[in-house]
Amino acid sequence: MFPKQEVVAMLLAGGQGSRLGVLTKKLAKPAVPFGGKYRIIDFPLSNCVNSGIEAVGILTQYQPLVLNEYIGNGQPWDLDGMHSGVNCLSPYQAVEGADWYSGTANAIYQNINYIERYDPEYVVILSGDHIYKMDYNKMLDFHKEKNAACTIAVIDVPLAEASRFGILNTYEDGKIYEFDEKPEHPKSTNASMGIYIFSWKELKKYLTEDEAKEDSHHDFGKDVLPAMLEAGERMYAYPFEGYWKDVGTIDSLWEANMDLLDPKVTLDLKDVYSRNPMMPPHYVSSEAFIQNSLVADGCNVYGNLEFSILFSGVTIGKNVTVNSSIIMPGAVIEDGANIQFAIIAENTVVGKNAKVGENPADVENRDNWGITVIGANTKIADNAVIKSKVMIDSDTEVTGNEE
Amino acid sequence: MRSNDVLGFVFADTLSEKIPELAASRTTASVPIGGKYRLIDFVLSNMSNSGINNVGVVAKSNYLSLMDHVGSGSAYDLSKRRSNLTILPPYGGKTFSSYVETIYNMHGYIESCREEYVLIAPGNIATNIDYTEVFDFHSKNNSDITLIYKKGVVHSGYERPITLEADADGKVKQIFIKPETCHEEVNQVYGTVLIRKSLLMEEIRKSLSLNQLDIKRLIQNSIEKFNVYAFENKGYCAAISSINDYFKFNMDLMKKEVRDELFNPKHPIYTKVRDDAPSKYGLTSNVKNSIIAQGCVIEGEVENCVLSKGVYIGEGAKVSNCIVMQDTKIGCNTNLNYVIIDKDVTIKDGRSLMGFDSYPIYIAKKSVV
Repeated sequence: MFPKQEVVAMLLAGGQGSRLGVLTKKLAKPAVPFGGKYRIIDFPLSNCVNSGIEAVGILTQYQPLVLNEYIGNGQPWDLDGMHSGVNCLSPYQAVEGADWYSGTANAIYQNINYIERYDPEYVVILSGDHIYKMDYNKMLDFHKEKNAACTIAVIDVPLAEASRFGILNTYEDGKIYEFDEKPEHPKSTNASMGIYIFSWKELKKYLTEDEAKEDSHHDFGKDVLPAMLEAGERMYAYPFEGYWKDVGTIDSLWEANMDLLDPKVTLDLKDVYSRNPMMPPHYVSSEAFIQNSLVADGCNVYGNLEFSILFSGVTIGKNVTVNSSIIMPGAVIEDGANIQFAIIAENTVVGKNAKVGENPADVENRDNWGITVIGANTKIADNAVIKSKVMIDSDTEVTGNEE
Repeated sequence: MRSNDVLGFVFADTLSEKIPELAASRTTASVPIGGKYRLIDFVLSNMSNSGINNVGVVAKSNYLSLMDHVGSGSAYDLSKRRSNLTILPPYGGKTFSSYVETIYNMHGYIESCREEYVLIAPGNIATNIDYTEVFDFHSKNNSDITLIYKKGVVHSGYERPITLEADADGKVKQIFIKPETCHEEVNQVYGTVLIRKSLLMEEIRKSLSLNQLDIKRLIQNSIEKFNVYAFENKGYCAAISSINDYFKFNMDLMKKEVRDELFNPKHPIYTKVRDDAPSKYGLTSNVKNSIIAQGCVIEGEVENCVLSKGVYIGEGAKVSNCIVMQDTKIGCNTNLNYVIIDKDVTIKDGRSLMGFDSYPIYIAKKSVV
């Protein structure tokens, strides 16, 4: 018998994240390294713990090995309680058959048993690809106050960018009357953050109904939420203020990392928990020069570093220049190499005097340049030149130049 | 001899009287060192990596920080169904100045453990050693007592250790207690001893009944009665028995070969983890030849320093040859040279503090300068 939990969180972590290219070749998007020692999923998980949510189900499907291993027993997030904690929920076989998760709603539907063990009043649905810090309790209070069936967190975006988001049109009190998915002419600037709180009784009803519909995509945004609105359920938009970024693309992932170096950005890393590698403190040599950067444990820095982020165990050789780049765990940048506006994935080796990426003349004009990405466990040969916007596959060896 | 047949027995207060400043409010074993570690991390990690499953840590006084740091032993993988870490505070409220009495005081614990052998280790040693080699050496030589030694010169002004002379096979011929310093390398014994548990307790009981409480004499006399062998620790090894030793060890970490050896990823040194963010270097930072733990924010100049977790260095600060422990704040436009700064210290803007190579200044925990 499980003790009752008022709130259960379900974290959608099964997507491939194909827009992150080689970075998600062998791991799910929520497991992508972020911010020098974290993985993206640390943010929603830490938010849950800091909001007092003790039961978290993580829905995994695409390349779950790294993610499952990382989550483990949940101890780094204090999610290893005796009767609650974190569980990775993969698709499974049952008497009535075996199915992959066909959509976000279907993933939750297939795990109704998991949720019902805790007999919750509310279920929080989260995504594993957003960087933000949020107290879900405040949103839950709002949900209760409005006596809502569903509350969706929204963030105010600039009108010019509103057409990239799912926009919620509401009355003055926050009651939603219309969903506008990526509208050409947005009526408001309330963008959905992909964070939902449902009253469980209602959600269960709509999930079950949706499951029966043959033409449904079994997706929250496309099917379940519109169905609820159509049926006249009380649905509210909860305005969130603070830092929030979808890191689903290479550009946004790079930007969110760079935001950590920007004193004007309000995101701090306090109370964000993660699994810590056992490495000694990092060493900075006499030849090194580091400014405006983040450096994790286990690094050895002999070169120059500006506006960059080093994950644990990275080696930066002598006379190396790293600028506006992200170097993931265990990567080695050999002597004389030059890394500009690039993401170097785990355990990749960049050879001597190689050049990766370019420093754009005009940062704002994204048509002319882009972030260079080198996949994990790759070897870039000495003196090779990798141009801007190039993406190099993981587990390869690059001997010449790549444009 | 199998590793799980060896009990680890660590003294947390080794030579605490020699580092009175650092050990004022803590045990020797819980002195912060190397940016993110405490001294005891080395011996506990070595024991765990060598397959020892059961470790007792003898604490005499001020052991709150020790208990806080090692906790259940889970950081060292010593808190599982088949592994265990026990802190042993004084039994019956009695503390003893001699090792003979201290070990006897713990006879209940030692004899209740199911291991046949015991590896006694001091809490002031920073080294990365595979004890399984010592176990094999002990078995191969049919040894009764094996002492681990390190070759080195004992400089004047430093604590004079026990030294030994051994033959080519490692059989100990002579043991010297506090020999005069000389410029030659000698075989120094810091106190790591492998012995059969029953033999240890038998000898301790005999000594007590003869009112012979000096463990050094006990070891010295043992070479006449038993097979005593010496195992050389060929790796880097620092015994912290003065503030100068402490300073030198921290500075040794700037050497790549020392770091590579001590922090070998194949047998890592574990420690209690704190959730610190990666360290942040500001727009005016300039760091040279230093060891920096996570959670630091650096806006000033840092050279030849070891910074622990969560240290803040203000803009315009010049910090050289310093060891700064966790969560200390060093204000703007300060100038510090050869200073050991304990944890939670605040150095206000514009202050200057100068020590010297052979005499680093020490600033106590929670001070405000």
